[in-house]
Amino acid sequence: MGYLRNRIITYAIIWFIALNFDFILPRIAPGNAAEILANGGRLPALQVQQLEQRFGLLQPVTVQYLLFLKGVFLNFPPDFGFSYQYFPASVSQLFFQRLPDTAFLIVIGLALAMTLSYLAASISSLRRGGKFEMGTLYTSVALQGTPVYWFSMVLLWIFAVSLKLLPISGQVDASLEGFNYMLSFLEHSILPMSVMTIATFGQWYLLLRGSSQQILQSDYILAAKSRGLSEETIARRYVLRNSLLPVISLASLFLGNMISIAVLVETVFGYSGVGDLFVDGVINRDYPVLEGSFFYVTTIVIIGAVIGEIVLQRLDPRIK
Amino acid sequence: MIPRTRTQRLLSRSRSSLALLFRKKAPKAGLAILVGIMLFLIIGSFVNPYSPYKDSKLLNSPPSPTHIFGTDFLGRDIYSQIVNGAYPSLLVAVIAALGSVVLGVLAGVFSGYYSRLRGLVGGTGDLIMVFPLLPLLLLIGSLFVATNLFIATLLIFVLWPLVARAIRPQALAISKMPFVQAAKTSGVKDREIVMTIVIPQVLSIAIAYFILNVSLALVLTTALEFLGVGNPDLVSWGSILYWAEQFGFLAGAWWWIVFPGTFITLTGMGFALIGFSLEEVFNPRLRV
Repeated sequence: MGYLRNRIITYAIIWFIALNFDFILPRIAPGNAAEILANGGRLPALQVQQLEQRFGLLQPVTVQYLLFLKGVFLNFPPDFGFSYQYFPASVSQLFFQRLPDTAFLIVIGLALAMTLSYLAASISSLRRGGKFEMGTLYTSVALQGTPVYWFSMVLLWIFAVSLKLLPISGQVDASLEGFNYMLSFLEHSILPMSVMTIATFGQWYLLLRGSSQQILQSDYILAAKSRGLSEETIARRYVLRNSLLPVISLASLFLGNMISIAVLVETVFGYSGVGDLFVDGVINRDYPVLEGSFFYVTTIVIIGAVIGEIVLQRLDPRIK
Repeated sequence: MIPRTRTQRLLSRSRSSLALLFRKKAPKAGLAILVGIMLFLIIGSFVNPYSPYKDSKLLNSPPSPTHIFGTDFLGRDIYSQIVNGAYPSLLVAVIAALGSVVLGVLAGVFSGYYSRLRGLVGGTGDLIMVFPLLPLLLLIGSLFVATNLFIATLLIFVLWPLVARAIRPQALAISKMPFVQAAKTSGVKDREIVMTIVIPQVLSIAIAYFILNVSLALVLTTALEFLGVGNPDLVSWGSILYWAEQFGFLAGAWWWIVFPGTFITLTGMGFALIGFSLEEVFNPRLRV
């Protein structure tokens, strides 16, 4: 238990460092103050005043820092002020509006990828070194070198432009209702979802395979073989189940990776999720949105990491 | 002949590893791909008559005898763009891979050898690996003036944990070996042990990870270029796709998207295949 507690404390410290980093970074970027005032030039005077008040833009940095901390800790959900671009929508509002869509992509994509790669690993283990295993293996390695955004563009081209099977961009046709709305949502999410699944499958399969390689060299596998169990039985009963262990705990660590993929996928497909929000914020120099998104993403990732540690602790009695 | 001297021992081990490597199909395929691309790029830079920045009247034209890969929305030849754009992207990728391996080896060896460092280095490394890389890189890359060197440095910072994580167990195993313990007790300084014994042993894995990291860094670099970090007006593999994404779909110019991306993919694949096979060969735990 002591080990776990230390890890959690480490993560908490890192979270706090990331929070400060989140505050400092936009403020040391070159051209920052000019940017804010220039943005203010586009907005009516009243809104500029509101922005200045909320962020303390004309006040010394220490005051800004206090305002920042106040916004983060004294409110739930944390208040990051208003977005410059989508004024007067608040950053948290924007983020949570879009979070379910991205979460949909990530969670289902991950689930599909894990299931598929587990199936693939099972089939491969029946014939070690056979064509299926080698084929899947090299496909996965090849997928590592494939840029996700390019792959998305190619799929977009094939299915949306040439074959006109699926919609080109966006997330849903807001004019439809009820069942049609749902259908439209699904239609729009097929392509992004497929890309996420395929991209994740490759990496996941390699992890699973690495894990089962290590298991294969264990003593108890040797013992099982010497007892006369067939390769199949060994695979089924011992290898697959035990190789799952380290990999499951990695699932939550994979979250960061999937968010990166989601950013690219959402950009190409015009899918309005959190990644798209982030990229928009980058393009438009929308600092509140950037700060807020970075904070939320960091928090989610760290919570995921902590959960992963707890799960690993529970499942593997060896780490106590 | 039983290898006697240290050099002979090293050579005989690497000879058998290399032999194993060349028997596999994957690295051969990867090598073939890479050599092919290298040749194409080198010959291409002599053969191509167009400058990648030169506009022409031939807007959005499909592949033809004069423009092998077609032209983009400004009439610029895509083939030349690919040939010229290779250098920025590949250069950044190689530098990033080199730096990350150097840093990763140092981190891995020191945290493997000195048990006190293990928690700190390991924890930091794990955290960097857990974090969503792209948003972080995107954020930093867009806030500051992102020269290629800057991007390379960011990538080094982000990629070293991967290397360190693989090297640490090896360094640990080596430092626990009797002859290392003997050296320590007989008074050999720690730094000398690390330099002369530990590092050469992990060199083989380091090389494997260098190649793997080139593949990773290439994908990350082109992704950043694609998102507009750095200078999108400077022709690089990623920036070609940056413009292609905005204008290519509208113009129906599939060649603008397909060809540059294919090169990125093939190069990445080539490095990935070679690096992966190297890793399998040098890391004894991964052998089938």
